[in-house]
Amino acid sequence: MKLYEDYKEHADFLTIYIREAHPLDEWRMKSNEKDKDDVCYVQPKTLEQRVAIANDFTKRFKYGVPFGIDDMSNAANDAYAAWPERLYIIDEKGKVSYRGGNGPFKYDPKEVRAWLAQRYGEVKHPEAAPAATTTGKT
Amino acid sequence: MRRMWTWLGIGLAALLVAVFVGLSIMAGSPKDAIQMVRYALPYMHRGNLKVGDSAPDVRLVDLDGTTRFQLREREAGKPLVLVFGSFT
Repeated sequence: MKLYEDYKEHADFLTIYIREAHPLDEWRMKSNEKDKDDVCYVQPKTLEQRVAIANDFTKRFKYGVPFGIDDMSNAANDAYAAWPERLYIIDEKGKVSYRGGNGPFKYDPKEVRAWLAQRYGEVKHPEAAPAATTTGKT
Repeated sequence: MRRMWTWLGIGLAALLVAVFVGLSIMAGSPKDAIQMVRYALPYMHRGNLKVGDSAPDVRLVDLDGTTRFQLREREAGKPLVLVFGSFT
């Protein structure tokens, strides 16, 4: 989201929602369980199910990045070999200009930031101020 | 000759065990390793797209579940960052 906020005036962003990575009925993750992150969904079998989960996601995180959902033919996922997560940049001529690695280990938003920074300049954020402490002195 | 096949068999078994141990460490547990092989490996591939290739145009669905649009429609004379992923 920060990347989007920093560069949305210079580049367009599109989140493409694809097949689930760790649904309950496939390779389930302990961290998704109800008592932890509470991300408990089975792999959608219909577009309606996938759309519902995508909407849950955007509502839960107040996700403001433009959004598109891959239909059940998984055409976008297949065309971009995107599963489970991946980043690309398409240039103004419609050519692939950056092709990120497959997640989780090779998924690196810093590379996208570096690409955008090289073109449009770095966006720096002030460091968060340290938490105030009381010393007892008057 | 027989001895050679025996050692080959032992070597192969040791290799399989080593691969399974490695996958278990990578995935988090032996159960995760089995599920990774069963559910993840069929979908994990690097793909054929390269930098410089034309970006495939695909049809997507909006969050309302009914409006459809082409990826190309989102190209507006600026670079387009694509973020692929899912909730889980």
